[in-house]
Amino acid sequence: MQRLQSTFVCYAIILPSMALLLSFVYLPVVWAFSKSLSAFEVGGRDTFVGLDNYVEYLSQDPTTFPSLLNMFLLTLFAVCVRLTFPLIVAKLIYVLPAERWRYLYRVVFLVPIVVPGVAVQLIWARMIYADAGLLNEALRALALQSWTHGWLSDPGTALVAVMMVGFPFVGGFEVLVYYAGLSAIPDSVEEAAEMEGCSGLSKFLRIDIPLVMSQLKLILMLTVIGGFQGFEGLFIMTRGGPGFATTVPGLWMYFNAFSFQRMGYACAIGVLLFVMIFALTVINIRYFRSAEEVKGEAA
Amino acid sequence: MSRGMSRARLRVVHAVLITTAALTLLPFVFMVNNVFRDNTEFYHSFFAFPDSFKGVVTVLGQYAGGDETRVIVRDSDGSQRDVNRSEALGHYVDRIGTGPQRAWDVLRQYMINTFIVSGLSALGVCLLGSATAYTLARYRFFGSRSVFLLFLATMMFPGVLTLVPSFLLVKKLGLLNTYWSMILPYVAAGQVFAIFVFRSFFAGLSEELFESARIDGAGHWGLYWHIVLPLSRPVFSVVIIMNILGTWNNFLWPFIVNTDGGHHVISSGLFTLANSAYASNLSTMFAAYAISSIPLLLLFVYATKTFIRGMTAGSLKA
Repeated sequence: MQRLQSTFVCYAIILPSMALLLSFVYLPVVWAFSKSLSAFEVGGRDTFVGLDNYVEYLSQDPTTFPSLLNMFLLTLFAVCVRLTFPLIVAKLIYVLPAERWRYLYRVVFLVPIVVPGVAVQLIWARMIYADAGLLNEALRALALQSWTHGWLSDPGTALVAVMMVGFPFVGGFEVLVYYAGLSAIPDSVEEAAEMEGCSGLSKFLRIDIPLVMSQLKLILMLTVIGGFQGFEGLFIMTRGGPGFATTVPGLWMYFNAFSFQRMGYACAIGVLLFVMIFALTVINIRYFRSAEEVKGEAA
Repeated sequence: MSRGMSRARLRVVHAVLITTAALTLLPFVFMVNNVFRDNTEFYHSFFAFPDSFKGVVTVLGQYAGGDETRVIVRDSDGSQRDVNRSEALGHYVDRIGTGPQRAWDVLRQYMINTFIVSGLSALGVCLLGSATAYTLARYRFFGSRSVFLLFLATMMFPGVLTLVPSFLLVKKLGLLNTYWSMILPYVAAGQVFAIFVFRSFFAGLSEELFESARIDGAGHWGLYWHIVLPLSRPVFSVVIIMNILGTWNNFLWPFIVNTDGGHHVISSGLFTLANSAYASNLSTMFAAYAISSIPLLLLFVYATKTFIRGMTAGSLKA
């Protein structure tokens, strides 16, 4: 590596990058914390209110408990399905003998990526769950009229309906990640396992799953972070309703900022979500890394 | 290896995979089918092919068989007419084109906006990202490590933390309802990952290559232009695709910063469309979903391998 004569030139080159980073990433981060301490409406004036916004959200807001519960349930469900369904599909693709088929299946599961997410959510809300939609029409065709339902408009089914969006939960991205993990398992390990008489399901559970642990961990973290901060799908499909049946804290933050003009309060909710995500990330790094080191020593 | 499977087992694996793939693609099959069906067809027979397709096949059959019977066609208002076969053919072809035509009239502007925003963002990310990554990878200067950490640290901040303050910033800068309200934040955030990808690639280039070029009298700029750029084409395409995927699907930000609706991109435009008078005509909406999928579909078909690498470049480093 070369030592450049002029530090000045280097800084001149990275200046545009730095300027954008500081103004459009770091400044909003700083503002998120500072505005969360004020009562602040667009066009109005900042009034410093200390921790009032946090106190209000944690003790008086009627949405806090139900929306946190919804967020946990949605995230838990997403974690369960994204750690299993795509992994099983990836394994089934991986065991196929012909590379042609393996490639074809991977591409097929990837194709839905080209449809904009908004379109997918609108299709689920207005074609699959609609009154005259796929689900209800299929039930009618099976003579199960009594089961037909306003899936997203009934508070009893709305949350489950939202969870089931994307069924059968085999995302092309997850399949690719797991497939890459399975491909990285050395042949010698597989051969040794077969020689020991370990095959089929027990091989999948005892050999494959521990060896794709880093991929599982990656998808776990992406899903948890996405589950805690994501709310676009809910905004598009239900707007958090009926009532607060599908409201999550992120969505409530959005409504406070852009419907009720309570910017400071919205920032406080954003900061709380950040704290939760940050804590989980730290736990993940600490706990899982130590687990991996232990595994490394045992090997 | 477990690949030596019995035929019966292989068949079971294929059956499970095909079923899962079919279920995954099912909503999109219905989406495409409904592009060519009007509201009456949608509400009265959900599981059916478009009447217009069936009509075209019937009339073509008449032509083939020399049958000149007049055909009864149904207009969109529900009234029925009795027409000759060439009028009937025209009627059915019109009906096939109705949804896509209406959708395209609205989507065209959204599509142009998306190309401008995604294109300029990708360009900005490539220019700034590669220049910064090159400097960080090939030169050691006072503070270079801290600068890198400053970029790395942004990974900590989730979008939900900065959404509201970013809006306040863009508003304060007077950028609401401009392309810049999208391009500048996209480049600022998108460059971070590009810098990681570029940096690891640039750091891996052999020093001898640079040595020999320097002996030939190449300056810093010459090195970058004549040595680095030609070698990095594949990395650039990965970064470009990674970036386009990120900006193309972003719905919330364009929706928020386009308060007057003049600069909507595909995602925010589709949502606006779905909550407007257009949405009462279902085939227009389905056509809009289908048309808005075409650009990425073309990109996917044209560059499958690069597309896959662009999608996973972010994750495989973690």
